[in-house]
Amino acid sequence: MWTILTSKVQKALWPRGASSRPFHIGREALLLIALAVLCAVFASQSEFFLSERNLTTVLRNSVDLSVVCAGMTIVIILGGIDVSVGGVLAVSAVLIGRAYQLGMPDWVVVPIGLAAGAALGALNGTIIARTRVPPIVATLGTMYIFIAVLFLVIGGVWISGLPASLSFLVLGEFLGLPAGLYVIGVIYALSWYLLRRTPWGQHVVAIGCDEGAARLVGIRVDRTKIQAYALLGLFAGLAAVLYVARLRNVEVNIGTNIALEAIAATILGGANIRGGTGSLLGALMGVLFIKITQNGLVLIGVSSLWETVVIGGLLIVVLVLDAFETRRVS
Amino acid sequence: MTDPLKLSMRGLVKRFGGVVALDSVDFELRRGEVMALVGDNGAGKSTLIKTLAGAHMPDEGVMEIDGAPVRFTSPQDAWNRGVATIFQELALAGKMTIADNIFLGREIVRKVAGIPFLDRREMHRRSKELLERLDVVVPDIHTWVEYLSGGQRQGVAIARALNIDAEVIVMDEPTAALAVAEVRKVLEFIKALRRQGKSVVLISHNVQDVMEVSDRITVLRRGRRIGLLETANTTPEEVVGYITGAALAQKQQLEQA
Repeated sequence: MWTILTSKVQKALWPRGASSRPFHIGREALLLIALAVLCAVFASQSEFFLSERNLTTVLRNSVDLSVVCAGMTIVIILGGIDVSVGGVLAVSAVLIGRAYQLGMPDWVVVPIGLAAGAALGALNGTIIARTRVPPIVATLGTMYIFIAVLFLVIGGVWISGLPASLSFLVLGEFLGLPAGLYVIGVIYALSWYLLRRTPWGQHVVAIGCDEGAARLVGIRVDRTKIQAYALLGLFAGLAAVLYVARLRNVEVNIGTNIALEAIAATILGGANIRGGTGSLLGALMGVLFIKITQNGLVLIGVSSLWETVVIGGLLIVVLVLDAFETRRVS
Repeated sequence: MTDPLKLSMRGLVKRFGGVVALDSVDFELRRGEVMALVGDNGAGKSTLIKTLAGAHMPDEGVMEIDGAPVRFTSPQDAWNRGVATIFQELALAGKMTIADNIFLGREIVRKVAGIPFLDRREMHRRSKELLERLDVVVPDIHTWVEYLSGGQRQGVAIARALNIDAEVIVMDEPTAALAVAEVRKVLEFIKALRRQGKSVVLISHNVQDVMEVSDRITVLRRGRRIGLLETANTTPEEVVGYITGAALAQKQQLEQA
């Protein structure tokens, strides 16, 4: 069904035929339809849903996940995965919180948060590239370590009352639009440029398709991997900056769900978990799908536990349909 | 009047534990020549081409390109020295376009306001040229490689070798998995390479293909070179005789008599 639908949409949008499509136009169009249906359902059940205030809230809640998801898309296209991004975000956030408590100014604190994220991402990438441990296992290991670091530093107590000097990045408004939208725009434009318009992006895709082939043509596979994970780490560090800017505290359970949500959004958005293909735009729509589901279910009075059921179920449906499509092609 | 040697290997020995895969093998290749490499399973063909491709380091022996000694430490090393080996799996990225594959690792970049961007237009233009030189027909240059036929993929892999200006192109069983019409096409590619002065090593089980495109034939058997034949002066029966060892036995009988 999905296949038939996607091929129909593809033919409409991409007349040269499915075989020549360089990106997942079909998936993105379908997600747009799914989002419209979702919004229509929630809007019919809650008159508050489509209010400007609620939509702004959804957007603000989506900023950190969106930023992380851009990096996750690149890592998944590379044929990797990173389940430790929540831990990276947490460690960066703790460092940011402590730095603020020591009275450091924004221009010191922000680079600390970004550098910490990039360094931990690079650590993940180095372990994966050098030891050839499967990325899911390697990052599961580092996730436990990062979470332990969080608890050791934070000691079970929230860091709170942090300055509001950067809150405008998420909560502010610019030219009539929420500031978070610009942050997302800049990060996705940058990611798109790196992935689709540079040799580096070509190498990422090639490694995701066939690592051996990439090595044979002289691509520096290990270095590219480390850079991709470091980029994801950098984005997780930025997400930590934005998180602290928005909520002005660091809680003990910070970053708990973000890795799984980012992976889910990326796959909903059309990325192949085996690497090689994926879509930044699709991933961003996947984020919106998840965040709108969370928001809408709360508004119409359904327990938020159902949100995970909806997203988990949808993920399985997408993966099964992908598997069918892969079998059909081969 | 013979062409100068493009590549030569002398006294090549490769052991795996107690097994001698190559036992003092000599191999040579002239400029603009198609040299077929034939032999039964286990004759040492794979070991020889892996050595040529930089995937194996020989235990003994020397290798020369244009008369200068070389030693490949990795497949990239071999590619950089102009020896491109096209393995059966082809090393193409399935979910990338033809041009992206041909230029993989050697992308063309154009600066816009100081920022480097992939120059897709130029890569497409040059890819088209390369494919035309080889007479490779593809439905659309923007097609993902995984949607191409086996013969078309061979064409893309060869175009990539031409793009790095490879002088020696080693093809491992290029026709093994192809339909008849596709085989014709790949044999034409090989002839096109010879016309352009490239040296080709063709590994094949198919004696018919070998007879059609090769200039000379190297026959390996049990790790030794037992025959170096001029294709024009031999017959398929003789080649098969060498491969199976029958020719060798006959020769020994003649010598004894």
